[in-house]
Amino acid sequence: MNVTIIDQLKKKKILSLLKDGQRVDGRALDESRPLVIDTGVIPKAEGSARVRLGDTEVVTGVKIQPDKPFPDLGDRGIFICTAEILPLSDPNAEPGPPNEEVIELARVVDRGIRESSMIDLTKLVLQKDKSVIGLFVDNSVTDYDGNLFDACSYASVASLLTCRVPKYELKNDVPTLVEGEFSEPPITTIPVSVTMGKIGDQIIVDPNADEWGCMDARITITTNSDGNICAVQKGGNDGFTVEQLVKCSQLSISAAAKIRELLKQAGRK
Amino acid sequence: MGVRKTDIVLLSDKGIRCDGRSIDEPRRIMIKAGVLKNANGSAYIEFGENKILAGVFGPRDVHPKHLANTDRGILRCRYHMQPFSVGERKNPAPSRREIEISKVIKEALEPAVMLENFPRTVVDVFIEVLQADGGSRCAALDAAAVALADAGIPMRDMVSACAAGKVADTIVLDINNEEDQEGQADMPVAYMPNLGKVTLVQLDGVLTPQEYEKCINTGINGCKLVYEFQKKALREKFFGDSTQ
Amino acid sequence: MDDIQRKYVIPGDVITTGPYRAEENVHLFGDKIIATTVGISEIYDSGVRVIPLTGIYVPRIDDFIIGMVKSHTSLSWELDINACYPGILPAQDVFGRDFNPKVDELTSRLKRGDLIAARVANSDRSRDPLITIADRDLGKIDDGELIKISPTKVPRLIGKRGSMIQTIEGATKAQITIGQNGYVVVSCEEAEGLLKALDAIKTVEEQAHVPNLTEKIQEMLGSNSE
Repeated sequence: MNVTIIDQLKKKKILSLLKDGQRVDGRALDESRPLVIDTGVIPKAEGSARVRLGDTEVVTGVKIQPDKPFPDLGDRGIFICTAEILPLSDPNAEPGPPNEEVIELARVVDRGIRESSMIDLTKLVLQKDKSVIGLFVDNSVTDYDGNLFDACSYASVASLLTCRVPKYELKNDVPTLVEGEFSEPPITTIPVSVTMGKIGDQIIVDPNADEWGCMDARITITTNSDGNICAVQKGGNDGFTVEQLVKCSQLSISAAAKIRELLKQAGRK
Repeated sequence: MGVRKTDIVLLSDKGIRCDGRSIDEPRRIMIKAGVLKNANGSAYIEFGENKILAGVFGPRDVHPKHLANTDRGILRCRYHMQPFSVGERKNPAPSRREIEISKVIKEALEPAVMLENFPRTVVDVFIEVLQADGGSRCAALDAAAVALADAGIPMRDMVSACAAGKVADTIVLDINNEEDQEGQADMPVAYMPNLGKVTLVQLDGVLTPQEYEKCINTGINGCKLVYEFQKKALREKFFGDSTQ
Repeated sequence: MDDIQRKYVIPGDVITTGPYRAEENVHLFGDKIIATTVGISEIYDSGVRVIPLTGIYVPRIDDFIIGMVKSHTSLSWELDINACYPGILPAQDVFGRDFNPKVDELTSRLKRGDLIAARVANSDRSRDPLITIADRDLGKIDDGELIKISPTKVPRLIGKRGSMIQTIEGATKAQITIGQNGYVVVSCEEAEGLLKALDAIKTVEEQAHVPNLTEKIQEMLGSNSE
């Protein structure tokens, strides 16, 4: 999806407000937009969530089903995360195979969750090297207002926190569903992704679509419940100084704390 | 991720890594500029067991025309691995990983490349990984930057890249393939050495905030070491010698 | 008295600091003047610039160039001029003012692959450069071999007051037409002379940075010059 050309007047306004440390929607530089998380919205899926981060909306479903393990990882289950920007989410979004932007989005969301070890995949094995449980998380962006990285990540995490893992038994080495029996997913930590944009020398947390169109560069930093950093991705066509990179990590840790609380609440429903 | 059983010793008591290097030592690096006849600019790099070729065309006409920007030239980048470049044959079609790396490399070069004076054109950067080892995206970037300079594309600064990581609870420079698989964190970094800006940074793995900062700085030190090889490659080709 | 300080530079190299005017192929970062291309930096008077040793041709008005016809519309030919934009040769330039697109067929004068000696009539970055062959010494090139060199090496191939090109022409009896855009056409009645001339041109391009190159080329061609 190509970024909408932002009109020069709007861009001027964003830049001049930033010089005074202000943003067009009144937020502080380190403030995220209101986050609304609804879980269990797709009953047919084993887990699901709809997240609204400002006006960005993502619907995510988790499908859990038996699968063959990866060749050299026979002692763990499978976790795969995808993302799609639906054509109805934005006038510039086109149907078709994923472009580089969507591929990056999916891989960054996937890495943030995978590297945190949120799901203990070793607990998802039915028969070592032969049969495991696969968790497939598919994010669909339904409305675009910037910062799809965080919205998809929160929707994925909320879906995983509230999913129910069906029970499978091996009958003659074939995994068979045991109806009506479920278990909690093996959760070890709650990863929280925080994306920051750089406009001139200002760093802003959770850029909306207009700010996204003015950014020189962005960075997404994911932290786990211990406050450690488990994934980083820099994007955009400018660079960061080391001081800015350190500042971003600090902003990410403090913003993540509040969001983790919201995810925990959603996880309890 | 979990702890994996491994036979190799990632870091001995004496601070020697599995391939005999010390914690601040990069693998062997060799860069040659101007290796292809047809490309406007080119470079070949060997970085550890990575063998990577980069070719640049441009600035040139953009096709399809709707991609052209009327204010400035655009940069296109394709990172592609040869089927024979890895242990198990890789399907020649671009994988999602290659597409992401292509994007990340392009965004690491864009801050350096000055395309304001070439509206409606494109600079194409083609990177072919002939043999892959850990840290191939950094090695690819190092070759691409030299190829761009070889082509005479105006640049604000060179871009140098090197990965740092965490292995056996220690921050180390330039992790190799085994360290990437068995280690605890992998952070590729790209840096503009004279302007002092980081243009690529990614992280897989878990680091405390202190380790994160140390890893960035270790990566930057690696970038500065690679910069010397990039300079050498260009000087050797254009000035006939590597001293000046 | 010339007081120019010269240095070999690559992109990112700090040439100097201080109150200098930033001219071609450099940029200002704080008070540092930094090279943006591989080349030779020069600090003179109060200005700093870099003479590039590589890069594509940037069209300038009145430059003599050699172009190759790539395609055409009903109103003009599109030329490969070794620049980042194609050159446009309007049909009127060749057919004259009474050019009538319904009657005059462009391919009757120039077709795909034809080489022309031409001049840049107009060049601004918002449009493709306009080319003209409306002059006595310009027009379609009927014989010779096209060789392409880096446009940054053209001054070296010409030499001080033409010394290099005359050395090669003299020793090989070839006629060499050099376009500022790096396209060079060499023609010679003797096949051997042609080959020697082509070799000499390639050598000049490869060793442009070597001092006393004119003497080396003379030696290479056997001293038939003079």
